[in-house]
Amino acid sequence: MSTYKEIATRESCFRPGSTLCPGCMEAMAFQNLGRVTDNGKKTIFTIGTSCAEVSTLFFPNVVAWGRGEEPPDEYTKSFSILHNVFESAASCAEAVRDVADILTDHGALKQPVQVVANSGDGGAIAIGLRALLHTINRRANITVVVLVNEVFANTGFQYSPAATPLTDTSTTPAVGPGPGNPYMPIDYVHLCIAAGADLVAQVSPAHGRLFQKTVEDALECKGTAVIFVPAPCISGWKFEDGRTMELALLGARAGVFPTFVWKRGQGGKVTDCQREAEKRPKLEEFMGPQRRYAHLLERDKATGEVRPRAGREPQIQQFKDWVQANVDRLYALAELKN
Amino acid sequence: MSTSEVTAHPRTTTPSGDKYEGVIDLEPVKRAHQPLYTERADVTADGNAAAALAVLQMWRCVVYAGFPITPSTKWIEMISAHVAAQAGCKKRVKLMEAEHAVADYLAASAASCRDLVFPTATSSVGLDHMYETVKSLGASGLGNVMIINVYRASANYPLCIEGDPSDTLGQRDSGFIQISCRGKQQIYDTVLQIPCVGMHHDVLTPTMPGFYGIKDSHRNARLVCEPDAAIHAFQDRWIKPCPLPGLINGDTAMGNCVTSRFFQGFKVGQKRRFEKVLDVLPQVGADFERTFGRPGISYFETAGWPETGNVDLAVVGMGPDFGTFEEIREGYAKTHGIKVAGLCIRLLSPFPREAVREKLRRARVVLVVNQAHHQGRGHLTLDVADALINLPSPPAVVSTFCGMGGADVSESTWEAMLDNGRRALAGDMPPPYQIFHEGAAL
Repeated sequence: MSTYKEIATRESCFRPGSTLCPGCMEAMAFQNLGRVTDNGKKTIFTIGTSCAEVSTLFFPNVVAWGRGEEPPDEYTKSFSILHNVFESAASCAEAVRDVADILTDHGALKQPVQVVANSGDGGAIAIGLRALLHTINRRANITVVVLVNEVFANTGFQYSPAATPLTDTSTTPAVGPGPGNPYMPIDYVHLCIAAGADLVAQVSPAHGRLFQKTVEDALECKGTAVIFVPAPCISGWKFEDGRTMELALLGARAGVFPTFVWKRGQGGKVTDCQREAEKRPKLEEFMGPQRRYAHLLERDKATGEVRPRAGREPQIQQFKDWVQANVDRLYALAELKN
Repeated sequence: MSTSEVTAHPRTTTPSGDKYEGVIDLEPVKRAHQPLYTERADVTADGNAAAALAVLQMWRCVVYAGFPITPSTKWIEMISAHVAAQAGCKKRVKLMEAEHAVADYLAASAASCRDLVFPTATSSVGLDHMYETVKSLGASGLGNVMIINVYRASANYPLCIEGDPSDTLGQRDSGFIQISCRGKQQIYDTVLQIPCVGMHHDVLTPTMPGFYGIKDSHRNARLVCEPDAAIHAFQDRWIKPCPLPGLINGDTAMGNCVTSRFFQGFKVGQKRRFEKVLDVLPQVGADFERTFGRPGISYFETAGWPETGNVDLAVVGMGPDFGTFEEIREGYAKTHGIKVAGLCIRLLSPFPREAVREKLRRARVVLVVNQAHHQGRGHLTLDVADALINLPSPPAVVSTFCGMGGADVSESTWEAMLDNGRRALAGDMPPPYQIFHEGAAL
């Protein structure tokens, strides 16, 4: 296992030139992924259509991928990326893995290859859930990274099946008697465990060392590893610039997306999120800075305190109930060994 | 291109990224291939089996992705049986959960190693389901993707599993090289030849050979299989290492949102490569004929065409039902005292416009037979009419539909359609199109 400092000095495969929003969690995730994968093995990424894809590969912008100013002379530092349609990242990564394995099996390829699939939650959990689960079920030896910003950010912040309840999205507007998203998010962590993944995690670069260690563990898996990266979205969640990491930490600690790492045969662990609600940060601290919850909460101009809007107490309670169930669910999943 | 040689894998810069030489050595893959035939063999096979045998004999095919869809299902069944039965075989069968995933899998596997061939077979709604990625692949430059399409009507009413080519004709603009086959031998021979066109450095375009469901996919006939070694020698003459990097041996970005600085230039390049098919395909076909003694791939087949090219009634069609026309052609011509000849179109995309024009220029009437639903006068009709448009005195074009939904086109139907063409010869032009079935205009 590499040290945090050693990884920090490596060369990332994510380069300047992307048009991701300043402070986007996806960029931070890619910087980290890029450094962890600079480990002496050829790296191949696949990426489904997503915010991350259109912001890093799309004409007329530069291609924001690659290690170094120029392609490296050393093959093991080289980097390739394939973009295909929304739902395809896992299937494509599986194909790359298979071809590399077949070539290796024949003795036609001597160098090790590591393959990482990248999707947004729209690509992996909505359009591509079938592809994701079947790739896992086939035990493909790949690492799947799903950047979960809970919306279809690419097309203008519409509802995705990962959206937390009651949020204001472009297609679940905060108007009328039942404002915001009426659905519960799909239990993607449990689904991936059930499908047969060897490692399933929910962790963001806000937990820096754990994030890097989890990626390293994932790359060493013999089967499929899936890492869901909670990705606070400045434009979609509607918060002020500079608060990405703070919200990623708060969201994890408050129980909205607890940090969780599970390994087949070993079980899992919830980190930095207490099971009891009273021991966790108040949800209002997490929700308050985000205007996607502005229909539920308001800030007292005199005291600065965030409080439920008049008449919205039932929805706030509904949200809190969901968060508690979410935390309980992950603690229960942690007990699973297989 | 420039080359840096500071490592064990010299790096070459190309317009599509950098390529590391020697990272992949395919000689062991070729050596590991277990031949199906060491000498020429006569077998009995249906169309699916013919297509399966061809890809099983290719050393460049190491993984076969598939999903069952009538009437192409037997292709993947047969592949699976052969791969499983070969002790020590390192080839793999990849059973995906849906056709869309098959297409995605093909895209990435072909991008991974551009010197191997990645085939699948599909049909109808399977091809429809692949459409999104097929369209992407069309522009990808990955000539090593081969989708064998067993023609069946796209999803519509009424459900039908017979050979209606509306699925493949609905993909005319996908960017794939589409070539139609009839008969088991032609299916087998075409599958062997078409990667040589698609992977040619001037072309680099994926391929879609196809044949009619049920009519050809499920009916047996004699098939001559060539020895694997002879097939390899033939293909190796044409398929040279791709000059562009793949994902494994390259430092590159690929995909349908990854374009060069000159987006229009990219699209122009795709179009130019597509047009090159018209140069390369006849050369490959001619070499195949020299090598194996059977007709190679071509733009079209002819029936009863005189040396002079002077024809009263020229028939343009495709597929196995054209054989019925060939059977009655001579008798019909004699009975009515006219010269009747036919073109059975093979290359659907790119359509061989110039060659078709040259062939039809001295015909008086051209009867075009369409077998798939179309919004207007028929897919083939529009292409033929376009081919003829600049002639000083172009022949009249009579358009018909028949055999839709995969129905057989009977002799009486052919005669009724020919009668329509004959009336046009006499100056009695029929409506813009007519539909025929069992000898009657509907």
